[in-house]
Amino acid sequence: MKIKNQIWFPVLYIFILTLVLSSILILFGLFTRKRVEDNTRIALERSVLEVLPIDLADKIPTNQVHQLYTKLIRDPDASSGKAFRYIEADSLIAYILPVQGPGFWAAIKGVIGIAVDQKTVTGISFYEQNETPGLGGEIVSQTFRRQFVGKKLGAGKAPLEIRMPAEPIDENSVHAVTGATQTSMRLSKFLNEALLTWQRAVTEKGE
Amino acid sequence: MPGQKNIKNVVLDSLWRDNPIFRQILGICSALAVTNLVLNTMVMGTAVIFTTALSSLTVSLLRRWTPRVVRMMIETLIIAFYVILFDQTLKAYWPDMSRNLGPYVGLIITNCIIMGRAEAFANSNKPGLSFIDGLFSGLGYALVLIAVAMIRELFGMGALLGTPMPFFSSSLWDRWIIMVMPPGAFFTLAIIVWIFRSLRFSKSEQTKEAEK
Repeated sequence: MKIKNQIWFPVLYIFILTLVLSSILILFGLFTRKRVEDNTRIALERSVLEVLPIDLADKIPTNQVHQLYTKLIRDPDASSGKAFRYIEADSLIAYILPVQGPGFWAAIKGVIGIAVDQKTVTGISFYEQNETPGLGGEIVSQTFRRQFVGKKLGAGKAPLEIRMPAEPIDENSVHAVTGATQTSMRLSKFLNEALLTWQRAVTEKGE
Repeated sequence: MPGQKNIKNVVLDSLWRDNPIFRQILGICSALAVTNLVLNTMVMGTAVIFTTALSSLTVSLLRRWTPRVVRMMIETLIIAFYVILFDQTLKAYWPDMSRNLGPYVGLIITNCIIMGRAEAFANSNKPGLSFIDGLFSGLGYALVLIAVAMIRELFGMGALLGTPMPFFSSSLWDRWIIMVMPPGAFFTLAIIVWIFRSLRFSKSEQTKEAEK
């Protein structure tokens, strides 16, 4: 009991306890670090696979995502803007363009697939978003995303418009999520900016 | 608190008589924030149960050694340790859920329920009983949260645990979007606290009469 009454005892006590607890946390952090990094990469790779113009299983098992990705997808090159390339039998089938920007609450990150004609959209998918569940969060739903498949990128200032649910849509536009005007407007803004930049990049290279 | 309490009393106090949310009005911040989907709420509840139970156990185990003057720091340290452990596990093994809950798992560190139990109970009780007290306090918190989440998800999205419910998902039900937005949490929680408190008080009055 004597040591407990020393004036320096609280300091020593905190020091030892902190040392023990932080060591455990650091060890656990090292142990899980690879998994955490893998999760982030797999989320992106899964999204890329989801926008390809091919039928894949609804939910690709996590352990196959990376394998499939390395088989089908090549990194961006000089002629593809900043888009990843989907190559099958040595020919380019589609571009997969990463898009990101501010959402209503936090950054939204996703990818959009565009066929080799540089016009037809093959799909859209988001791998990071923190929008209100049930409202803005619905951008990840099949209902919203399926609208994009087959749409054509227009030549105007907004290649792919996101319109209010009451307005009519054509082959260059889709409907926003009901009740999530803010999310939809912000998505529309950065999506179209990315598409314009990309269109400029690929046409310059093509000429 | 005079003397040692028995297990039955501890359980009843934590779940009902002194429920952290509707009796002590503690832990409200996360109760408002993560209750728009039942699944998120269940994971959040699990995180709180895990942390209260184990931190109460640890605080109680160390109680003879911990100098009084630094006990609050020690408690915070222990609580933070368990919360980070849980957060890290979610990040590694359930990344989708970790993204859904955002910063709220980390914020459990500042959840007053846990600190409250450590201060009010674990500091002066045996480890086993402290563990049970922590476990059921966490459970008392989780149950109220799940009740709030069920109401919000059902009225706001017409679903429970993501499964569309009959009637509420049909066109007869106009989804109350405000329920999944932050204001919905205030209304729902206030009404639930009101109901539970009225139940609790009418019951305690009856017991008093019976004692006479």
